[in-house]
Amino acid sequence: MIKKVITQILKQILCLCMVAVVIAPILLTLFAALKTKGDMAVTSPLSLPGWDRITLENFKKVLSNKYLLIGFKNIGIILVVSLVFNVMFGTITAYIIERFQFRGKKIIVSLFFAGMLIPTFVTEIARFQIIQRMHLYNTLGAPIIIYIASDLMQLYIYRQFISGISVSLDEAALMDGCSYFGLFTRIIFPLLTPATATVCIIKAINIINDMYIPYLYMPKNKLRTLTTFLMDYANAQQGSWQYLAAGIIIVMVPTIVLYVFFQKYILAGVAAGAVKE
Amino acid sequence: MSKLSKKRRQFIIVSLIVPVLLLIAFVVFPAADLIRMSFTNWDGYSPESSFIGIDNYIAMFQNKDLWMSLKNNAVYFIVHLFMIGLELAFAVLLTGKLRGAKFYKTMVFMPYIINGVAISYAFSYFFSPINGAFDAILKTVHLESFIRSWLSDPKIVNYVLSFVSVWRFSGYHVILFMAALQSIPLDIAEAAKVDGANSWQLFRYIQVPSIMLMVDFVLFDNIRGALQVFDIPFVMTSGGPGYASSTFTLYTIKTAFSFSNFGLASTMAVAIMVMIVLIYVIQNYVIHGLVLKDRRRKND
Repeated sequence: MIKKVITQILKQILCLCMVAVVIAPILLTLFAALKTKGDMAVTSPLSLPGWDRITLENFKKVLSNKYLLIGFKNIGIILVVSLVFNVMFGTITAYIIERFQFRGKKIIVSLFFAGMLIPTFVTEIARFQIIQRMHLYNTLGAPIIIYIASDLMQLYIYRQFISGISVSLDEAALMDGCSYFGLFTRIIFPLLTPATATVCIIKAINIINDMYIPYLYMPKNKLRTLTTFLMDYANAQQGSWQYLAAGIIIVMVPTIVLYVFFQKYILAGVAAGAVKE
Repeated sequence: MSKLSKKRRQFIIVSLIVPVLLLIAFVVFPAADLIRMSFTNWDGYSPESSFIGIDNYIAMFQNKDLWMSLKNNAVYFIVHLFMIGLELAFAVLLTGKLRGAKFYKTMVFMPYIINGVAISYAFSYFFSPINGAFDAILKTVHLESFIRSWLSDPKIVNYVLSFVSVWRFSGYHVILFMAALQSIPLDIAEAAKVDGANSWQLFRYIQVPSIMLMVDFVLFDNIRGALQVFDIPFVMTSGGPGYASSTFTLYTIKTAFSFSNFGLASTMAVAIMVMIVLIYVIQNYVIHGLVLKDRRRKND
């Protein structure tokens, strides 16, 4: 009995250490964001100043920056457009690959599969000219089309889900004179809703957090996203950690909120995406 | 029936045409173009470039900074490799009976969904030499003598950045291990317990063999991830001081977009592609095959 209690306590201590490691960098940044410039210099980074000296000025200053608002707006547009197309193309591609046999299927499947093996970041060296030739450089179209075309994790999630839907459903619908498009839009697509929720949330988090594609393709001020706004802000605030800290916290909030509300879908999708057998 | 099959064909073609074209234009073609460009001296903006044979490949193999960068990638790999044990331990801990397991699960995965740029800056602050929190922690526990310039000392900067990488990605592995552990049928563990197995034996002989495929996935995810480390050093040190914390991908990107040598950069990109494909082949046909064969034999 005592041994059991001791192991329980040890396990709790271990977990609390993990929580401390996770929380520490975020919490200490929050501390800095709540301090005045003067307090930054005289107080320890590990503690808050007295309650009466805590300030929200840093947050106000960041929130009043017009490029932050532009960043929110831009990332909103990018998210909506790329998610709609990702879901549309992802569901139908996965459905056809999973359910139909046709000439050239092997080639198409291996193309999609090879797409997952192509390294990130360095591909931009070649993609850069394609975007430029299509006159998408410095437009929201650049990240949107890249997110739609190149991130293929949804195929795994959808294929796995579709393989769990009975084929007799398709057959019955076709027997009743339903067209293939009708079958897909009215029967299959609605059944995929849980998978779609997972795909949308995971993709939303990836897109909001993405740094390199907006940084590379949209250097224009007016095309800031949350992440590239923060990069600009960090360069402008060199050394004024209290302002930058407030910016860091603000940029972290959206995905943390998504995570807190939709944790179930996120964890399910992350595990499903990994096991591709 | 032929009417149906015609409709079927129409449906397949209409549905797949756009996704496939997008894939070809933005994924397949760029990858092929990298190979073509790797044999040219293109600078990124001139309308013309000339074919220079394998000069870029020779230049790549002779580039000391690039291979030093690859050594830095190895640091990330090794640090992450050492974490696998701890990640497994946490996965076992959190799938077992534990008060607050749900909360701990939420916390362990949180770093993975946090904005990478934001947390990189947060860690720059954490490790900053002036008023940095990490130095303050060392002072409170009287370890002042350990204080270093964490992000500008070439000897330790890669370990500090690897720590940030571990902070961000370990939770992902814990969640993957947990998913694998939870898929073990309960009756197997029950049967072992009835037969008097203790928790170490349960772990060693039931849980570990059952999740070998996931361990295999995480191991190779580590290699792929370590090979492509980019954003943490890009934001926190931009590869500096000098090339001390540069990585293979960071160096490649710099060669293209900062030094306008797209030809040489493409050669390096091809090298990364080759490495990734090789890793994939090794994983799927060698190790994966062994694991599965082993299992099949046991089942017989």
